[in-house]
Amino acid sequence: MTAAQFEVRVEANRRLSGGYFLLELAAAAPTPVADAVPGQFVMLRGEWGRELLNPRAFSILDAPDATHFSILAKAYGEGTRRLKRVEPGDRLVTTGPLGAAFPRPGAGVRDLLVAGGVGLPPLHFFARMAHRAGLSGQVEMYYGGRDRDDLVLLDDLAAWGVVTNLATEDGSAGVRGYVTAALAPRLDAAARTGEAVRVLACGPTPMLAAVRRLVLERGVQAFLCLEENMACGFGVCLGCAVPVYGAKPYRYCCTDGPVFDAREVRWP
Amino acid sequence: MTEGIDLTTSCGPIALRTPVLAASGCFAYGQQFAAFTDLRALGGISTKGISPLPRFGNPLPRICETTGGMLNSIGLENVGVEAFLRDKLPFLRDLGVSVWVNFFGVDFETYVDCARQLSEGQGIDALEMNISCPNIKKGGIEFGTVPEVAHRLTRACVEVSRVPIIVKLSPNVSDIVAMADAVQKAGAAGVSLINTITGMAIDVRTRRPKIATTYGGLSGPAIKPIALRMVHQVARALPELPICGMGGILSGEDALEFLMAGAHCVQVGTANFAEPGAGVRITEELRTLLRTLGFASARAAIGSLQPHAAEPEYLAESPWSSS
Repeated sequence: MTAAQFEVRVEANRRLSGGYFLLELAAAAPTPVADAVPGQFVMLRGEWGRELLNPRAFSILDAPDATHFSILAKAYGEGTRRLKRVEPGDRLVTTGPLGAAFPRPGAGVRDLLVAGGVGLPPLHFFARMAHRAGLSGQVEMYYGGRDRDDLVLLDDLAAWGVVTNLATEDGSAGVRGYVTAALAPRLDAAARTGEAVRVLACGPTPMLAAVRRLVLERGVQAFLCLEENMACGFGVCLGCAVPVYGAKPYRYCCTDGPVFDAREVRWP
Repeated sequence: MTEGIDLTTSCGPIALRTPVLAASGCFAYGQQFAAFTDLRALGGISTKGISPLPRFGNPLPRICETTGGMLNSIGLENVGVEAFLRDKLPFLRDLGVSVWVNFFGVDFETYVDCARQLSEGQGIDALEMNISCPNIKKGGIEFGTVPEVAHRLTRACVEVSRVPIIVKLSPNVSDIVAMADAVQKAGAAGVSLINTITGMAIDVRTRRPKIATTYGGLSGPAIKPIALRMVHQVARALPELPICGMGGILSGEDALEFLMAGAHCVQVGTANFAEPGAGVRITEELRTLLRTLGFASARAAIGSLQPHAAEPEYLAESPWSSS
């Protein structure tokens, strides 16, 4: 699938709890983002003039038809602050779809989707695709955040019949603690019963590092969706290097990833 | 409507169909851009800097954005001469645009080796010698900042190269004209002005530099006024030395400023990250702007800067001056 650069208009900017916002974006004509799959991303840039040069990378939350897609984000720096302020009708330049996706649901293996905070979108998209394919019984969601407000779009997961396990740092929803506190016993249970499970995870780097340690200790297959600073998103700036084991010390988050096999990532 | 504008130009012995090239380090080896833009509409492409052996680059984080620009410390990651000639050059050669191969070494001998090996490649129009990257540790700084060292290195590379050598100079010097003069006298066919300016940014939450190597190279529109000043200084002092100008060009008007200051052609760098078609758009904007301003050709605009009118005499002789 070849990426393209095209203009979109903001159809809706929905404010969710926890400071999250969901942008529904529409192109004038069909775009290749229509064929995007969970884990792929787009680069987005508003009319930011000369002060703020580079687009920002966002996982695709959904691509319901040939001209529409959506992203979920939180204001963190100047780029996301500006995106949070966009209004219906505003124009954004999009490049995408970019990157390598999560593997598709496989026969005979249960996918444990592990999301932390702003890492929800690719896994929410995965759950949605599983639902559309009649496979929602084959996925389980493990979703962690700071508090109840930090967990969004839970109604969708319930509507799709996806078993969802929550974790919050303050205990206001689900188990108290990090999402790994909910995941670890599940992995141990699978090991005891010989159940085939696979972990697909996205979230802050410390969370992904913790997930990686859990799965490596237990020999569970896992794919991590990473985030790095990137200026271009298509393999040119070389800013988004990811340390890996293998012939070369680095691969690229944008073109080799953002989804990497947990065994490949060279983290402590 | 703008068909009548002649965009052809040259950088010394290198003929160019248009004055707008893609800049080294911002265009990889070209292939990634084919999906987004018509590469044949560019004047040329300067490749990612090539070293004799492959390099894997610097630790993370490597880039961060700053006001009107970005800092990078990629570490000159590249595939090395052998893989470049075998895997990357054929694609560039087949485009029919001017192919400039940016190169560097880690010491005197590897610079010369690299120039010799690359110039054997078929379809290379120029070698762009990078003596200015702030992101390699060993010896690199002297090549780009000491005129005598730059002179010796340039002469040694010119002697072994079958194609013209353009020297890409560092702006991190106190006298850019002295550097340009030194490489011109050593046989450089031209100079590229400017590479990135060393800079720094700090994350106050973590109290760490925003890039792993602490300092990085600043690019983007933030550096354009400095780049223009340096192009102008060199053009005035060394009128016979062809200059390829660069530094924060985002529009046709930016490109024209560089031509007026004395550049014979320009490179577009950082703009390619956000907009892979930037070079082609800028070329079209330049064409339209030249016509609007009454230039018959791009060549006519080169060095066309007009000085401000001299100070009128009645102001020079102030009644308050004590003579």
